[in-house]
Amino acid sequence: MPSVVLEVRQLTKRFGGLTAVTNLDFDVLEGEILGVIGPNGAGKSTTFNLIAGAYPATAGEVRFAGQPILGLPPHKIAARGVMRTFQHNRPFVGMSVIENILVGAHTRFHMGVFFGKARDEEAQRLRRANELLDFVGLAEVRDADVATLSFGQGRLLEIARALAGEPKLMLFDEPAAGLTPAELERVAGVIRGIAARGIAVLLIEHDMHFLLPLAHRVVVLNFGAKIADGLPDEIRANPAVTDAYLGSHAPSR
Amino acid sequence: MSAARWLGAFVLLAAVPFFLGDYHNDVYRKMLLWVTLALGYNFLFGICGQVAFSHFAFYGIGAYSVVILLFQLNVPLPLAIVLGVAVCIVVALAVAIPSTRLEGFYLALATLALAQLFVVLLNEGGSVTGGNGGIANYRLPNVFGFQIRGPWYTGVIAALLVGTYALLWRLDRSWFGRACRAVRDNPEAAAAMGVDVARTKVIAFTLTSALAGVAGMVYAFVDNTVNPPIFGLDNAFLLLFMVIVGGAGRHAGAVIGAALLFLLPFFLSPVVGHHHVLVFGVLVVAAILLQPKGLIGLYDAFRRP
Repeated sequence: MPSVVLEVRQLTKRFGGLTAVTNLDFDVLEGEILGVIGPNGAGKSTTFNLIAGAYPATAGEVRFAGQPILGLPPHKIAARGVMRTFQHNRPFVGMSVIENILVGAHTRFHMGVFFGKARDEEAQRLRRANELLDFVGLAEVRDADVATLSFGQGRLLEIARALAGEPKLMLFDEPAAGLTPAELERVAGVIRGIAARGIAVLLIEHDMHFLLPLAHRVVVLNFGAKIADGLPDEIRANPAVTDAYLGSHAPSR
Repeated sequence: MSAARWLGAFVLLAAVPFFLGDYHNDVYRKMLLWVTLALGYNFLFGICGQVAFSHFAFYGIGAYSVVILLFQLNVPLPLAIVLGVAVCIVVALAVAIPSTRLEGFYLALATLALAQLFVVLLNEGGSVTGGNGGIANYRLPNVFGFQIRGPWYTGVIAALLVGTYALLWRLDRSWFGRACRAVRDNPEAAAAMGVDVARTKVIAFTLTSALAGVAGMVYAFVDNTVNPPIFGLDNAFLLLFMVIVGGAGRHAGAVIGAALLFLLPFFLSPVVGHHHVLVFGVLVVAAILLQPKGLIGLYDAFRRP
């Protein structure tokens, strides 16, 4: 039985009079891809940002590996083993691809800068970063300036950079946004590979066509509340979901 | 780079003054000091992306601290050096901790205020700082019974430069240097990678300020006089110009920018008199508009077309 990595309980966020997220409950297990979907304004991004520590919750609890993480600043959440990607790629533009990945490994450096095993540690992290480049398929642009990457390559860099932090939980913020069909295929393959390594994956996504074949379980949000959860096939068959997504955006299958 | 290369660089730099006359030795060692300052400032401004104007003030704080400790308070030299560094660290922390927690230009404002306040304090410091005239007519105490003078003292400056360069070079190629660049490029993404943004800024600011302070201590025995006008804002801005013209974010850029802008007035003054500042202004505007990567960027473009 895979263990529970992330527990979200009664999570609530109010912005003034607007309740963006209401009493949300869900779990993510190790090696599982949990998709959170919903139409625009359903509270997906808010949920993501609460878990990633970008802003404080009004009420509720988020536990990672049994420990509460709600209210911690983003860098401390990352240090615990929760890494994220950004919907709009945010590379460190003054650095090469490999250096970007090494920034992702920041929390895995424990030696000093000058003495002891600092050199060994650097070499070990570099090896690991090269493996990750192979894993996402960016090895050929290893030393390139990140400004020269395509949008799709930039997305893969986001993923490899986050993986360098050796997370137990990966948070994906709309990883399909802006990608071509070929790039979508590649990103989906990488996400499956991440889950296959036993990492828990929480995926916030607008695009059902991308998400439903990929996710193991799906949570559907509408107006800040959970309206359904279950296996992708159950979600496809659920009339409440098709209603929420409106006819034209509903998956045809 | 290996220790042997740094040692080689030191020997080379330290040997030069033995082939120079007194005047040229003086120009040479002041150039080395400017290069040292520019290297530290480049780490703060170019690599960590923090706009601060206090770097030259810390140079002054280091210089005044060591002179006051040695000759007003009669503290022995090794202790004076340690205490001088401690003063720089305390002042740097006092400025950095509140201001780096705020966004963007608050550090610039706070450090500008510090730089101005420092000069006011020097002028109003009475017998402690020597007021407008500063402190003069002192000499470096003997070290292990040796008098370090003339070209030998230039060796101390060469060691300071090479030591500063080696330290910053090593830092830049470590997780700390990468964290600094990440903070400069995208603080929010840096935090998501686990970088403590405020802490990284405070460490970079304090470290480079302390390095400027150490350079100031060495400077105090170059002319054997410290006085307020040297540590004013003119030189703080000159340091910024050096880093921008040379190429912000690159050690070699800082070296080239500092050497060029320090030496240029010697060649320009016969032609334009004291209007060389005007030429600098044009150079900086040209660098920002036409060549944001500075002279080192031009060199790169030339090498790898």
